[in-house]
Amino acid sequence: MSPMRKLRRFTLWTALKWALAIAIALVAVFPIWWMINVVFAQAGEPVSLNPRLWPTSLGAGLDKITTIFAETGYLRAYGISILYALLTIAGVLLVGSLAAFEFSLFEFPGRKILFGVVLLALMVPTAVTIIPTYVLVSRLGWLNTMEGLVVPGLASAFGLFMLVQFMRAIPRDMIEAARLDGAGHFQIYWHVVLPLCRNALVTLAILTFIQTWGNYMWPLIVGTKEELYTVGQVVGLFNSPLSHHTVDTVMTANLLAAVPPLIFFLIFQRQIVQGIAMSGSKG
Amino acid sequence: MAFLDISAVSKSFGSVSILRDVDLSIEEGEFVVFVGPSGCGKSTLLRMISGLEEISAGTISIAGEVMNEVEPADRGAAMVFQSYALYPHMTTFENVSFGLRMAHKARDFIAGRVNEAATILQLEKLLMRKPGQLSGGQKQRVAIGRAIVREPRVFLFDEPLSNLDAELRVQMRAELTELHKRLGTTMIYVTHDQIEAMTLADKMVVMAGGLIQQAGPPLTLYDDPDNQFVAGFVGSPKMNFLAGQLVSADAGAVKLSGVGGAAEIALPIGGVGGGARAVTVGLRPEHLTIAGDDAPGELQGRVTLVEELGAESFVHLTAADGTPMIVRARRDAARAGSSVRLGIDAGRALLFERDGQRIRGSLTQQ
Repeated sequence: MSPMRKLRRFTLWTALKWALAIAIALVAVFPIWWMINVVFAQAGEPVSLNPRLWPTSLGAGLDKITTIFAETGYLRAYGISILYALLTIAGVLLVGSLAAFEFSLFEFPGRKILFGVVLLALMVPTAVTIIPTYVLVSRLGWLNTMEGLVVPGLASAFGLFMLVQFMRAIPRDMIEAARLDGAGHFQIYWHVVLPLCRNALVTLAILTFIQTWGNYMWPLIVGTKEELYTVGQVVGLFNSPLSHHTVDTVMTANLLAAVPPLIFFLIFQRQIVQGIAMSGSKG
Repeated sequence: MAFLDISAVSKSFGSVSILRDVDLSIEEGEFVVFVGPSGCGKSTLLRMISGLEEISAGTISIAGEVMNEVEPADRGAAMVFQSYALYPHMTTFENVSFGLRMAHKARDFIAGRVNEAATILQLEKLLMRKPGQLSGGQKQRVAIGRAIVREPRVFLFDEPLSNLDAELRVQMRAELTELHKRLGTTMIYVTHDQIEAMTLADKMVVMAGGLIQQAGPPLTLYDDPDNQFVAGFVGSPKMNFLAGQLVSADAGAVKLSGVGGAAEIALPIGGVGGGARAVTVGLRPEHLTIAGDDAPGELQGRVTLVEELGAESFVHLTAADGTPMIVRARRDAARAGSSVRLGIDAGRALLFERDGQRIRGSLTQQ
């Protein structure tokens, strides 16, 4: 093959790849861009006879945002959502890493069967467990409480599975060296295993955040009182068929809900991509 | 009672027996090397001493105290692993001090101990580095440092040099010998490399098939092995083993025929009983000489290969019955393809039963 032809093939292939990547990116970015466009414009302007694809009025957008913060419980919903996400992350990491520590590094009777049960749980769709979970939470008197919101999400079969896989790769020698150094069971977990799993824990934290922030169904079911509304629920109120909000107000609420995960993604972009590759799942 | 006493110890995983009825005494301050082919149980025995592996039967005691149920950390044993097992997220200082920190020692005390170990091992400049920034030899030193600071009664080394390149291995071997002299602590060292074992050991323990084949000073094992396995395992190049027939034995010598297919030789091993039978003659490469064409020689062989090493050469031959042999000879002693006669240092030849047991004459000096 001549160098010329090689070059042509190369450029054509590259151009195709770029075209595909740009097309996918456009499809993904456009809704968000449209949201920004609608919010930062005078009402009705972007969808007028002479539509605009770029924001025209910063002031109008800020006005809408101020109105929403002033007239709805959006700020409190932010607080609830963040608390919900942080508590869930902390709990999932703690419970998951403790369980994974035992499953991956120690022998105990029934280990295989128990781990099998965990894997089974991974395969059961949420829709199947949601009613029993609700009944349980209700009997515990946890409806409309933070416990009710957080606790059922702590046992993450997926997180456990991921951490077990990761911890299995820790050399046995290292655990034994720590034992010989006089480290107790918990000290081995705390001083040796946890630091070695940092990447896996960060990944799990990120995936848990994405999942918790986007979780609509469970908060809707367990938190029916306004005081416990998450961002998702507040946005849901704006979107509901009987609400009298105009499109741009709804868009503003949506944008506000989308901003934290966007910022989060920009900060942790690399870890998220690594994490998705590592867990072999979209989270 | 010896300092470290291993008495009738057995180990099995399920139905698989790894060690059977092992007895061994180790004196305080001794440098003991367990050596044997992989799977012989040497690492398992070391791990049982450390407490990382449970003892299926028998007892292990240190300084008179039975250790079977004692926690690994409380046995006074420190171990250096083949993989070093350094904690990658900790600096050298943190790695070395980990055991002391777990024991909640005072900060000054820890710093003192670590600095002392760092001086011995020349780690002073590396204390703030993490394992990822250290070379293989440096990691090895850190691993040894981690053992030293605990001031153990027994050091356990599990093939510590096998991840190092040849040059560094020789250097670390010398350093370990130096360290042993300096500390005077009992050291138990596991390796599959018999040269490492020969050079390091006060007492060499050759193991195979879950049994101790022989234990003793390296040169004793070299000169006076109990069986054919030990004879073949210790020494490089290996001892030559030639099949033969024991024809007659009297008070001063045994007469053999058909050695290596043809030769009739007499060995000065007296008082061998048991009548005529098939036996094996063991001859080290340095106890064979290549004789001139007209000089008398007991064995004949055809040279297949000559390895010239400069100072000497290893001449590979096949005996009349096809048995391969190696002779350690002076340079340019033979040419490949030629037939040569071999002289035997009969006084150093060893005799084995066909099952591998050594035949010792009752009247000889050995």
